[in-house]
Amino acid sequence: MSTRTITIAGFLAVIGALVVLELMGRSRRTRIPTVGEWLGYVMRPAAGRAIILLGWLWLGWHYFAR
Amino acid sequence: MTENSSAETAPRRPGAAAESRLPLGARPARNAVIGAGLIAYAWIVGGTAPFSMKALAGVVLPGAVLGVIAYARPPERIPAPESLDLAGFSYWMIAIALLFEWEAAAVRDGSPPWHPSLTNLIDPLLGPHPVKSAAIVIWLLSGWALVRR
Repeated sequence: MSTRTITIAGFLAVIGALVVLELMGRSRRTRIPTVGEWLGYVMRPAAGRAIILLGWLWLGWHYFAR
Repeated sequence: MTENSSAETAPRRPGAAAESRLPLGARPARNAVIGAGLIAYAWIVGGTAPFSMKALAGVVLPGAVLGVIAYARPPERIPAPESLDLAGFSYWMIAIALLFEWEAAAVRDGSPPWHPSLTNLIDPLLGPHPVKSAAIVIWLLSGWALVRR
């Protein structure tokens, strides 16, 4: 197995874990919050809202403007 | 995790609550116009050359619009939870930290083909114009979802 394959597998595993966490959060059978819930909580203070929105803007710049 | 005492309640413009109580399908004509506008905008931005001023403006403009909406004219927001379960939240933080660590390791190596970064893996996927435009639509919608939170 090449290091490239291992790297890609690592990314897929982590992204898969994020999807599983979201599904577990939506199932309501665990105390894991959904991404919307914890983002909403983080954005309660103005500073948290600014950081999250700037992160969203950075993602757009990173993938669509460069 | 307890509630942050500095939490703010965003001001709401008059009528926003009543408007947002309408179901999504209640204004099909308006929704169709907005949807078509989003797709057209994404198609235009998706066709701009990387590192160009047009591409930069295509990202900064919706960012500025959503920033103004978020702080000056916020829509009725989906209520945020008063508290989060720390253990449940920590699973998210661990997974996100792992993603950043995996990405940082690749970037530190210079993202060679044998140890590519997520960016270098995603960039070729975004090459076709329709795919990039669809990704921009998703990005715009996620921005709106953030403003509503």
